[in-house]
Amino acid sequence: MQELYHSNGWTDGLPVVPPTAEAVAACLEWAMLPPDQLIGVEPVRERPITAEKLAINAVMAGCLPMHFPVVVAAVTAMLQQEFLLHGATASTGGCAVMLVLNGPISKELSANPTFNVLGSSDRATMVIGRALRLILINVLDVRPGGIDRSTIGHPGKISYCLAEDEDDNPWLSLAEQNDIPKEASAVTVMAAGAPRQIMNEWTTEPKEILETFAAEIRANMRHYSIWPGNYAIIVPQQLRQHLQKAGWSKADISEFIFERARIHRREWADVGKGSVVRDRGDTVYPAMDSPEQLLVIAAGGPAGGFGAVIPPWLGHKSHAVTMAIGVCLDCEPPKP
Amino acid sequence: MTLRVLDPSSEMAAELGKPAPRLASLQGKTVGFISNGKEGTVGYFSHLDRMLRDDFGVADVVIRVKSNYSAPADPPIVAEIAQWDAVISGIGD
Repeated sequence: MQELYHSNGWTDGLPVVPPTAEAVAACLEWAMLPPDQLIGVEPVRERPITAEKLAINAVMAGCLPMHFPVVVAAVTAMLQQEFLLHGATASTGGCAVMLVLNGPISKELSANPTFNVLGSSDRATMVIGRALRLILINVLDVRPGGIDRSTIGHPGKISYCLAEDEDDNPWLSLAEQNDIPKEASAVTVMAAGAPRQIMNEWTTEPKEILETFAAEIRANMRHYSIWPGNYAIIVPQQLRQHLQKAGWSKADISEFIFERARIHRREWADVGKGSVVRDRGDTVYPAMDSPEQLLVIAAGGPAGGFGAVIPPWLGHKSHAVTMAIGVCLDCEPPKP
Repeated sequence: MTLRVLDPSSEMAAELGKPAPRLASLQGKTVGFISNGKEGTVGYFSHLDRMLRDDFGVADVVIRVKSNYSAPADPPIVAEIAQWDAVISGIGD
């Protein structure tokens, strides 16, 4: 069975769980979706996406039925126009779809928002992230060299999912910042580049800590893309404690980084891109159009002044989307 | 023991468009370029413009640039295609 799936191009190169009718039916039943439920239509190639195909791929990725509603919500979010799904999955820029889980579902699934949060931190986030990639491969033909034209891609394209740490944390969660009550669960999707790790454990001063994040964003703007959009930052517990002790909210952090994360176009000349500076060297480019575009995510192990900047793929064209889990948009009630 | 497993791929692909009939010659024809607007398209399409006119006798070259290089061509550009004899749609990476 494994060789059949590999030879048909139905895998990401890793072994898959056999998608038996029983396992697929269990996922659909858990999410209360009939197999032919239309989850959405991929807009560029007009490809219908049904619940059954999502469930088959979720099972293959290792999902249990309890994971499946997250997968459905994430795909629904990816199909929103502002996400620009086709571009994000076809681009030579080679981004991945990053998922952030919020709300009670994280604990229900035993997602781990602490140690190794951007690695293989736990079963739930690994298999949910992988399910999205298998869905892109099999349902939308996003295969390397086919629809997927990524020049180099990055390891997040195997699985790129994390839960936000909402314990002992006075900050609003990412979902709450998007008007979803904390009693509800939600998933945020973002067309995201690889994480760029930062480290500053030699200060407790909020502005100094955040300057390190802003500097990494500026580096990305020089070395990768100048366009503004949804940058995400991962702030671990050790750094959060300094920020929270000083009374900084997520909004305060966003405001500070919005002001500090910007470059002059002439800086491109310092990194070998002088040919495209032209007469606009004095133009200032902010990393975000507004402070609200910064996704501040509380996550990471308890010790260590390490954090990450996760840059957008094409920030001014593709936007992060937050979707409540279990909320059905434009769908019909299940058939009797 | 037989293990029955399901097909994970889409069985509902939209029908693909068919290529227009090939032109016997480019002589006197109008050729449209749909550019994605990236940096590399500027030199590439201007060179191709000259080549088509000088070497192949193309009468007119129309250049249109997409508003978003990662999305399909804008509807007004697609509507204009019917007025051209041939289209070259290219990226500038």
